[in-house]
Amino acid sequence: MSERDSIYIVHRLLDEQILDAEGRRCGRVDDLELRGSPPRVTALLCGEGLYPRRLPRGIRHLWRRAIGPERWGANAVRIPWEEVDSLGSTVRLRKKAEELGLGEGDDPERWMVRRLPWN
Amino acid sequence: MKAIFKIALGIIAAVGGFLDIGDLVFNTQAGALFRYDLIWAVVCGVIGIAVYAEMSGRVAAVSGRPVFDVIRMRLGFGPGLIALVASTLVNVLTIAAELGGLAIILTLLFDAAFSMFVVVAVLALIVIVALLPFGGLERLFGYGGLLLLVMVATAIDQQPDWGAVAQGLIPSLDSSPLYLYFVVGTFAAALMPYEVHFYSSGAIEERWTEENLKENRLNAIIGYALGGVLAVSLVIVSGYLFHPLGVEPNDLGTVALPSQVAFGETGLLLALGGMLCCVGGAAIDSSFAASYNLAQFLGWEWGRYRGPKKAPRFTVSWLAFLAVAVMIVESGINPVEITEYSVVFSVVALPLTYFPILLIAGDRSFMGEHANGRIASLLGWVYFGVIIVLALASIPLLLITNGGGG
Repeated sequence: MSERDSIYIVHRLLDEQILDAEGRRCGRVDDLELRGSPPRVTALLCGEGLYPRRLPRGIRHLWRRAIGPERWGANAVRIPWEEVDSLGSTVRLRKKAEELGLGEGDDPERWMVRRLPWN
Repeated sequence: MKAIFKIALGIIAAVGGFLDIGDLVFNTQAGALFRYDLIWAVVCGVIGIAVYAEMSGRVAAVSGRPVFDVIRMRLGFGPGLIALVASTLVNVLTIAAELGGLAIILTLLFDAAFSMFVVVAVLALIVIVALLPFGGLERLFGYGGLLLLVMVATAIDQQPDWGAVAQGLIPSLDSSPLYLYFVVGTFAAALMPYEVHFYSSGAIEERWTEENLKENRLNAIIGYALGGVLAVSLVIVSGYLFHPLGVEPNDLGTVALPSQVAFGETGLLLALGGMLCCVGGAAIDSSFAASYNLAQFLGWEWGRYRGPKKAPRFTVSWLAFLAVAVMIVESGINPVEITEYSVVFSVVALPLTYFPILLIAGDRSFMGEHANGRIASLLGWVYFGVIIVLALASIPLLLITNGGGG
């Protein structure tokens, strides 16, 4: 991304579909990390551990109690901005999902996949 | 020439796949209770789904976004989650209704118990989905559904008073709760949201681009218009045969009866065969819609074109939705009742999924030159108003009329 391309990050980046280098869908932009002044987007945050952050306070506590807190690297993944290849109608990453710890629920060695009848 | 042929085949499949158990139940009952008076509501519903499907097909082709991708983008996580939960509940009820319908039709054709046919139907659907590619699924059920053209032939054969039929196109002033309940029901049965969720995700499955926009528009205008003819013919044949007798059809066998009266056993078999394909196709569409929505909202890999190996959570959730639906049907609730609830609740959930599509279809930062023009914009907002009114009216009417029971 060149410095001159500007977008509204909540309009076009937050909640956007993430694709890895091979075009695999591997999550959505569940939150953003902003640092510095003026603030800059330094990372995309992704994973089901982040869902409670997006909910009203009352429900947030219930949800956290049900699925546990954010565990970084497990249910919450930080994708440094340098790993973002391009922004279009999706967010394209430079690496494969596995290298970034994304899309594990769809990884081929997972039990669900092994047990499907027509594999 | 070849391109035109391909588009025509797609439209034919869309026509055959237009009807589902909601239309069969509500339109037949509407005819029996109010003769031709509710034809206008069916027509309004058909125009509504054409508008909604055209917009979401265009959004999918131009921006590569199916419905629940758009919902997550425009509503964000929290409100989007409400839309997801509401749509999923309605979709699961719809799957249950379609599976129950399949089993009823099978009991009319073959001699065995209903509960066994539910299992047979769901296993058959899983095998068909495992064997056929996406396009094959659409065509199999779409062309089979054309057998229901026998309903149009029946309507013509009955030689109804066409003047009275035409009068049904004008909204009549009747404010009895039962009439209003059926206005909502016939409208909503034509505008079931799963059809649009499936249609827009199907556009991604078939890798639509801007080049498919003409196909999308023809589908919406011609495909849905012809589908609407089928839907209206259900009202006509039922109004002609059942209204004078004061029969209120409460089972699916009655839907096929007018064709038997007109064309004997052949007519009956054609009607039942067409119903089997329409309802079977709708069972697949609604179950896929439930999984599409979940996967798109959460960012999972999805699609029949990816295969179960590459989209395992999508596939497992599809099987899980089918399993829950089977449990609902096997619980012993009358499938016709499940159908009525699924249709009425669908109109409650509809504004949540319709609104984000309307916003994105008109947003030039997403759609560029293909954003809603004046006509699409006007129709889109008018229908949004209509949907809001119906959504607010539907539950009170359901309660007042005791589910159409009077």
